[in-house]
Parts: sequence; C-alpha cells; structure tokens
Amino acid sequence: MRHPARSAALAVGVVVAVLGVVLATQVGTNPQADTQTSRLVGQREPTFTARSFDGQPVSSTGLAGKAVIVNFWNSWCTPCQQELPALKTFEQEHAADPSVAFVGILRDDTVSAARAYASATGMTWTLVGDPGSNLSLAFGTRGQPETFAISPGGLIVGSQIGPASVKNLDTMLAAAQGNP
Amino acid sequence: MWAGAAALVVGSLVWAAWPSGGPPTAGQRAHALATELRCPDCEGLSVADSSTPSAQAIRNDLARRTSTSQSDASIRSVYVARYGESILLTPPTSGLSLLVWVLPVVALALGAGGLALAFTRWRRAPRLSATDADEALVRGARST
Repeated sequence: MRHPARSAALAVGVVVAVLGVVLATQVGTNPQADTQTSRLVGQREPTFTARSFDGQPVSSTGLAGKAVIVNFWNSWCTPCQQELPALKTFEQEHAADPSVAFVGILRDDTVSAARAYASATGMTWTLVGDPGSNLSLAFGTRGQPETFAISPGGLIVGSQIGPASVKNLDTMLAAAQGNP
Repeated sequence: MWAGAAALVVGSLVWAAWPSGGPPTAGQRAHALATELRCPDCEGLSVADSSTPSAQAIRNDLARRTSTSQSDASIRSVYVARYGESILLTPPTSGLSLLVWVLPVVALALGAGGLALAFTRWRRAPRLSATDADEALVRGARST
C-alpha cells in the first residue's frame, strides 16, 4: 500500500511542475519584459508637434518619409552621458543623409540646463523640449535614455531602453529603413 | 449600556459602508484611476502619489480622458497597450494574471490540508507504553 504522505507530495510536485510549464510558456523567461522593450514596437508612432531648442517646429508630419531615430535624454542622467559618444558617432555617420532624421527629446529636465549641456558636449542633432511631458507620455517612456526607431511610413519598428551603442542604433536604423 | 454601544458600532459601520449618492465626477474617476496606475519612472508608487513629471502628465491625461467621457476600462486599456500590464498596480483578475490571486489561496488550502492530515495522523498514532521487558531493561541499566 502506498504511503498517503508520499501520494500528497507527488500531487503537490505535479501541480508545481504544471504551473512551472504554464508560466514558462506563457510568461516567458523574462518577467521584466515590459521594462526592457517598448510595447509600442509594431504600432503607429504617436502624432506629435514640438519646438526645437532653436525654436524650429518639429513634428511627426514633418518627419514623414524619413527613417527617424528618436532619443529621450536629459543632461543629468548618467546613462545618458554614457551613451553620448555613441549618439555622436551615429549622428556623424548619417548627418549627410537626407533620408535619416535624428531627434533628441528632452525628458525630465529644463531646457536651459539641457541647452548648456548640449552646447558643452557638442550635440549637433535636432533637440526638442517636452513641456508637460506629453511626448514622453505618448511614447510610453519609463525613464531615460530610451530610443525609438520609426519607419518612413510612421511605424515604430524598434526600441532601446537604456544606453544605446552605435551597433544598436545602426540595427534600429536598418530596421526603420527596411520597413515601409 | 452594552446595547447602546453595539448600536453605535453597527450604525457607524452601516453609515461608512452606505454608498454615497450619485455617480462619481470626472475628477473623482481620474483620481481613482491614478491610484490604480503605477508611476512609470518610480518604484512602487501610484501615479496619484508621485510627483514626477511623468506622473503629472498622466494625471493631466486622465483628467482629459475622463472629462471626454471615456470609460475607465478603455482608459486602462490605453495605458496597458502603451506600457504593458505592469502599469497596473493591481494585477487583472483574468487570464494568466488570475494565478496571482489563485495561487496564494491554493497554497494556503494545501498547507491547511497538510497540517490537518498531520494532526489527524498524530492523534491516531497509538501512545507508546513501556512493556515489562522495557522496564526490566531500564532497571538493569540503572543498577549497573
């Protein structure tokens, strides 16, 4: 005759194993997935209008037809400072290409502080403010830096949460250029 | 005196639990939703409790959406689509998230069942009593 405690232990083991399989297949191996990849990938880009630091209008409509890299940043965040060399390299590589646009959107910072930092560090790409954090909200950002790749047709095709490398940026740009 | 105290307690509870009149205003709905949403760039704070620019932007957005008669469910779904279900401070009670609610109850029931089984078995187990041979053995050991 089987020992009842052994049967109970076996039943508990089976339940735990089934739950493990369910969780592994349904949730995947990364429960923090929401904080590592944007949910907006695969969706239309948010419609936006903004002003650059030098007062020029920047909008999703005006950028239509280009492969766009959007980078959320600010002057005080250390990871943003860490990724700055990669951003500068990337911008220099594509500055002459009219089919590519690179836009930095300020997040959780003052324009005056960011302008001074950008001038001191040589950020020459288009930088826009985000009063009211509406762009940050529209892109569903969780912090900075965060980077998005948008196809010429306005589809978000890639995102990077945290500092991006030149390789990350090139990969995202290629994805943007490869999509309609 | 005790009857009066009991009546006071029951009356207070009924008064506290009694639904207040009228549907919630747009501002009340926006605040309630803000307490349900996690501040995207904080640790464990709701949008209602956070003072970050993102939380402020979300509060403004909630106020705008509730004032245009969007339903609570549709507003939640907008935020889940944008941030994922982790934006909800309370896990939904459907789909796989149901496990979050069910598993603790199942674990508690299993634990209680196990304890009940163990106590029953201990109660049924015969009490051990020393036989004459055991007592003789102990006496022999003590005398040496």
